[in-house]
Amino acid sequence: MLSLGGGGAKSTKPSFVSYVTPEEIKSEKEPPKKERHPDLLPGEVIFCSADPVLKHTQDDLSQRGIFGTLLCTNFRVSFVSDETPLEDMTQHFKNKLYGENDIPLMCVDNIYGVYDEKKKLMTKGMLKNKCPSKMIIHCKDLRVFQFCLTYTKEEDAKKIFQGIAHHCLEPKSLKCVFAFSYAVSRSPEVQRSQRTVMFNSKEDWTQEMKRTKANLRIVTENENFEFSMRLPKFFIIPAAVTDEDISKFPGKGLPVWCWSHHSGCALFKASTLPVPQEDGLMQGYMERMLHAVAHTHLYSLKLEDLSETLPTVQDIQQSYNKFKQFFLIDNSTDFWVSDVKWFSSLENTGWLDIIRQCLQKAVEVVECLEKENTNVLITEEEGTDLCCVISSLVQIMLDPHFRTLTGFQGLVQKEWVAGCHAFLDRCNHLYQKDKECQSPSPVFLLFLECVWQLIQQHSPAFQFSETYLTVLSDSIHVPIFSTFLFNSAYQRESTMKAESQHLQRGPLNCPAVWDWSVQFDCKAQELFINPLYADKLKQDKVIRKVPRAKHQRQLSLPSSAFKTPPKKGFFKDETESLKKMLRVKRISRWMASPDSPAAATREFYEAWQRRPLDYHGLLLPCLDGPAVRLWMQRYLRWIPEVQILGGGSVAITSKLAELLSQVQDLRRELDLRSCWETEAESLQLRPGPLALARTSLRLSSSFPFASNRNWTFKPAIPTSLLQSLMVTDKLASQEDETNEVISLV
Amino acid sequence: MLTGSKTTFKVRQMPDIKERIMNQSGLHARGRDMFGLCCLPGECVLQRAVLVRKKLSPKEGGGWLSGTLFCTHFRVAFVPQDSPRADDNADPVLLGDHDVALASIEKVVAVGPSRTKLVTPNSSLKFTPEELVLYCRDLRVLCFLFDRLTPDTQAVEITYTIAKTYQPLKPGTILSFQNAALGSIEMKQFLSNRRRDPGMNWFESPADWEQELERTGAVGWRVSSVNDRFEMSTSLSRFNVVPQKVLDTELKKTFAHFNEGRIPRWCWRHPRGSDLLRMASFQNNIYHEKDDIRNLELILFGGQPQCVVVDLGEEMPSPADVQLAHTRLRALCLGDISSSVSVPDDKWLSTLEGTHWLDYIRCCLRKAAEVACLLRRGHLTVVLQESEDRDMNCVVSSLVQVMCDPHCRTVAGFQGLVQKEWVMAGHRFLSRINYHRDSDKEEAPIFLLFLDCVWQLWAQFPARFQLTEDYLLALHDSLHLPLFSTFLANCQRERCRRSQHLPQSYTPVNGLRELPRGSAEEPVDPPYPPVWDWPLQYSSQRRALFSQPVCQPCSPEPVLNGNLNTNTNMEPNWLSDGVPGSVFLLSRSSFSCPSNLLPWRSGSGSGSYRKSHRRAPSSESLPALERLIKACGQPDTPQDFHDPHQPLIPLLLGPCIRIWRNCYLRGALHAQAFTHPMSSNSRHPVERLASEVEHLRERLAQASTGRPSNRKRHEHRRLDSNLNQNANNGTFLFSSSSSSSSSSSSSSSSSSSSSSRTSQQESPCRISGRPPTAPRYRDGGGKHTFLFGHQGEPQGSQRYAPSPSAKLPKNSGPAGAKTH
Repeated sequence: MLSLGGGGAKSTKPSFVSYVTPEEIKSEKEPPKKERHPDLLPGEVIFCSADPVLKHTQDDLSQRGIFGTLLCTNFRVSFVSDETPLEDMTQHFKNKLYGENDIPLMCVDNIYGVYDEKKKLMTKGMLKNKCPSKMIIHCKDLRVFQFCLTYTKEEDAKKIFQGIAHHCLEPKSLKCVFAFSYAVSRSPEVQRSQRTVMFNSKEDWTQEMKRTKANLRIVTENENFEFSMRLPKFFIIPAAVTDEDISKFPGKGLPVWCWSHHSGCALFKASTLPVPQEDGLMQGYMERMLHAVAHTHLYSLKLEDLSETLPTVQDIQQSYNKFKQFFLIDNSTDFWVSDVKWFSSLENTGWLDIIRQCLQKAVEVVECLEKENTNVLITEEEGTDLCCVISSLVQIMLDPHFRTLTGFQGLVQKEWVAGCHAFLDRCNHLYQKDKECQSPSPVFLLFLECVWQLIQQHSPAFQFSETYLTVLSDSIHVPIFSTFLFNSAYQRESTMKAESQHLQRGPLNCPAVWDWSVQFDCKAQELFINPLYADKLKQDKVIRKVPRAKHQRQLSLPSSAFKTPPKKGFFKDETESLKKMLRVKRISRWMASPDSPAAATREFYEAWQRRPLDYHGLLLPCLDGPAVRLWMQRYLRWIPEVQILGGGSVAITSKLAELLSQVQDLRRELDLRSCWETEAESLQLRPGPLALARTSLRLSSSFPFASNRNWTFKPAIPTSLLQSLMVTDKLASQEDETNEVISLV
Repeated sequence: MLTGSKTTFKVRQMPDIKERIMNQSGLHARGRDMFGLCCLPGECVLQRAVLVRKKLSPKEGGGWLSGTLFCTHFRVAFVPQDSPRADDNADPVLLGDHDVALASIEKVVAVGPSRTKLVTPNSSLKFTPEELVLYCRDLRVLCFLFDRLTPDTQAVEITYTIAKTYQPLKPGTILSFQNAALGSIEMKQFLSNRRRDPGMNWFESPADWEQELERTGAVGWRVSSVNDRFEMSTSLSRFNVVPQKVLDTELKKTFAHFNEGRIPRWCWRHPRGSDLLRMASFQNNIYHEKDDIRNLELILFGGQPQCVVVDLGEEMPSPADVQLAHTRLRALCLGDISSSVSVPDDKWLSTLEGTHWLDYIRCCLRKAAEVACLLRRGHLTVVLQESEDRDMNCVVSSLVQVMCDPHCRTVAGFQGLVQKEWVMAGHRFLSRINYHRDSDKEEAPIFLLFLDCVWQLWAQFPARFQLTEDYLLALHDSLHLPLFSTFLANCQRERCRRSQHLPQSYTPVNGLRELPRGSAEEPVDPPYPPVWDWPLQYSSQRRALFSQPVCQPCSPEPVLNGNLNTNTNMEPNWLSDGVPGSVFLLSRSSFSCPSNLLPWRSGSGSGSYRKSHRRAPSSESLPALERLIKACGQPDTPQDFHDPHQPLIPLLLGPCIRIWRNCYLRGALHAQAFTHPMSSNSRHPVERLASEVEHLRERLAQASTGRPSNRKRHEHRRLDSNLNQNANNGTFLFSSSSSSSSSSSSSSSSSSSSSSRTSQQESPCRISGRPPTAPRYRDGGGKHTFLFGHQGEPQGSQRYAPSPSAKLPKNSGPAGAKTH
């Protein structure tokens, strides 16, 4: 068959300058082949398809590619290759929802059409234009696809182009999102891994309060969102806030509790009040709020307005837009061009600096909580963007619980999902490009970036791996998970209710992203676990249950102020004036930012550095120039030019996995000959990514992403000598393998 | 805190150093100071400060270590409080784990309560230092903290002493430094009795070169001793490898055609049959006689039909560029507390880019990768050409070999490589490192550039190296110590001259005696040891980190060496026909054949020659060559990963070339953050894993043989310091299932299993008609499976061995057969 020679890497490739017209190709095809489609998900419907389409591989020198069918469904743009897919060993990290040639509709970032060698950005106004000869799709997970439509029948090409453009560029309503049709027809699964705390019930919140030993007031009035639509169902506020004040400005300016330090001080976040009016009502309210927060512990408070010190969401968006351009590579020459000034161009985008600023701010807040034992209130206009970033980062740095997989998921659930981060607007899932209300901005991604920096610097402290973070960042754009689909808890609740009423069936079964089995099978999920995670030793665990706080305190820094009598009513007996004076002093001192925050933080950091590192204690990132790095796995994984075959850090990880599997082999062998008493004191080892073992040499540095697309289509060196060499090599390696087998026995 | 009267400590308060030397040398000739410092013979303590804490680098575990600080006239030594009492009869180690040689100190900074001050020999301190920071030339920064209980005078005086004695290396001071370290009679004796490492190839005798020829399977080459007395070329080594067909008498005439007489010499053969050569540029204005031309071409082609000249002159950075880049890099990486000028964090990356250091690394790696790809084609000679053949040629030729030859990625192989391509080839170490501070114009850290390139390769392909980053770091640091014969000369001639004065030491097989005796210029020189004598510098714990704990067994020796060399396509006797092969120039990643490439071909004298040359099929092969370069970096098939000769082609794009953090940033003030002080009580999972493996294996061995075995100790010992690093900084736990399980399930010793492998691999070579190798060569020849890392055992046991004839144990017994 013309198209595509058998699938073996060494078989003769078709010359891709096809001299055969599309009609001819079609006539050659057997009829059943036309119904080529991917395995559809429940509820997935094909809109249109085109055949044959040439998908270019990124190697632009040879303009090679594969022929196949391009389809557009209500979930994805899918390319089904005519070739039978190679069974390669990275198959086990396959996403169950979409394959490597599929693009979920939400994941499409930009579409370019190529007209006569000119690349044009498609906007929704250009739909009526004539069909381009080539379509380039940039994805939000940084993949780049190039589809050549010249071999397709013209009307097919037009249809598919318009279909894709329509579904990817036109604003649509929330109801059309695939998640709903998916949820309807999805067979209800009983076993949902409910290990993650979802923070949608009162118990979850009280549990969390208990865990952090906070003693605050939980508000239940908002259970049906009568009180505020921008607040979660349940939330926790300082105990001193009066009922009257809660309802004064519905939710605005109300300090919502995030987390409590073991010393008793706590972190709060709040949105700022709508318009700063001059009437005393507002001022009094504000003062009472600050008062209430300060009352929580030691009557101290640091107020931090994030919108003053951190970049705005628009800045973040702009910077990221510039930044990602360096990784959306249409062809390798582009890459070489950008390579010349690689470092300075990265720096000019400012993305790394934004990451640094966020981490820096988080360290400042940590300093207040840990060293000064002051309450901290962070505010922002809405209180749902940078507040979420900073508060979650603070919690990760201070609380080892959030460095475990479930803990981290709970944190995202608490601060972001229940905390009403506007995922729908920020991720721009509905393509409302010119919408006035909210600007899209990768705030959540920024948070993941910051976490990645922490992982990079202190990898044994985290139970999850960088692969987990990368997959999580991809999952934002998979329109199946309820986690990232809504702007607020209210919207989630109401939409779900409306949809299920509309369909007149039971409650919708929309999975959370934490339900990883929807996307990956168990083996692939093993890659989420950091094999180097320094778990608490067993004997520690027993002790930890009781004096956990004490254990932490030991390792925390000596707090300079008020260490000894953290009595609640310390100021009660004082005269009103003194109290006021003190309060003014302490609050204002913190409100006016300290002389040089960077220097103070540096000191704090150095003090922390002098103590032995405890992976289960306070963790601070280093923020110096060389320390903030590029998240290579996420950004470079699809670029073949920078994949190190058989190298990179995965080479080490796989060696580790090899060692692990070896341990298990040896154990098994020991068990077989177990005439020996099995001293069960041997250490408990986590099952690591065993699948990695013994394949190490073939893994590239972008493992587990971008399976070996690199060597499937490389230019062959036309030397007969070479082929004979390869034959001998193969023989040799086979021999080696048999040796291995024998010696294993 | 100081009263007015105490504010200035004048230099005169310190007794004269000379005097102290006289006083103390007798007392502590070879023994321990009362505070536990184990002195070298003849070393004397000038000053001491008690209750000092040393800041440990993350590699050492981080945190602070308290002990006593010494300043001798050779080093600044730090003895931890409860360090175990060293064996008085142990061999002297030049530097302890916490010491630094005075010669590698670059700057002394005292930190007071409110200020910091750069201390120079002539300055006076107006405060008592609380902290003493030593900036070293090798980019380390040592930080000592004086306790409140440290007597003020001690703190001040030791600062002065260090500032006065460390080298602002004036010409001549280097000698006293060397004498301080190695000058004593005991030390001289010790050094002269020392055996050199038999595991590596020193390339000092013709036999060494022949061994290399045999290892690489090169045929048609011979070792010529025409330069034995350095008459033909002063900078070349005594023995050079040239084509067999050229006689010594013919060879002698060719020297004049090259700059400094550095004729094309063979360096290495690719397993696919291409040869790598290097030469200096052609000498202009010389008349090419017809006979000369024949010889020149013979030398250049070396039996191959095609020749590619790779010109390293224009594209590569000049030594001055490298020096400038390195200076800038140092300034960037060493946060300097005395000047407190630092680059803002958000400008760090662009400043790094502005140093161009990474560009130069990329440039070298790219050139080497091109050459490596070119060599894969087979049946060519690739000639590296540089005007002097002493800088970039060294870098590129050795990089090519590191990329292509797995043997060069082992410690012994790498040392042999440096010996061959740098030391013997006459890299001007002495001028480039500028120990004497008298050749500032010449100074350029070319060798450091090379080490960084190797590190880049290592960082990209950690699993393919037997040597580790620690080894590269050790070599990096040793370069700044003017004690080693390896680095203390510009060419072999200088080295030979010096070593003549030594009684019985370094007697190469062929005998130095025949050399013309040079004039005795520096009679006081102590004997310099080679840098490869690691036990002299590093404790065994440190040396254990030089190689991976468990390495993959060598894949079978490829059969292609012998039997694929014969080229059937080409006329076998093209040379005897008198038709010269075609010559191409590789420059800027493209090929050309300019007419003036070989000066004699463009010359007017030999018209007939030119005609026949034009018929050479140059235009045909050009695109094929181009394709070869383009395909560079594209592995042929997945199967190729099993090929040990698959070259390591590094990725050179912006994100792939990184800064060598553990070297350049280890001293920077902010660097400590990359890895944090680690509490010693909690064990790292990798360590637990490793001890688990050890434990299980031991039990298994017990189960199978009934007797305990402690063969696996090596694995554990490696795993204590590396663990805290990020995964990409390399925790090495390399093992392969086959090696481990075979060695664990059988009672035979590991070396027997390896040798059985060796003997198996040997067989194809024998079939192909070459003489069987002598066992001694086999050991050095890279066929050793590095199951147990380095060969520490022979080194340890043979230290005082009287004769160099002891061989490694021959293990070709039948015991190994059990494993298969």
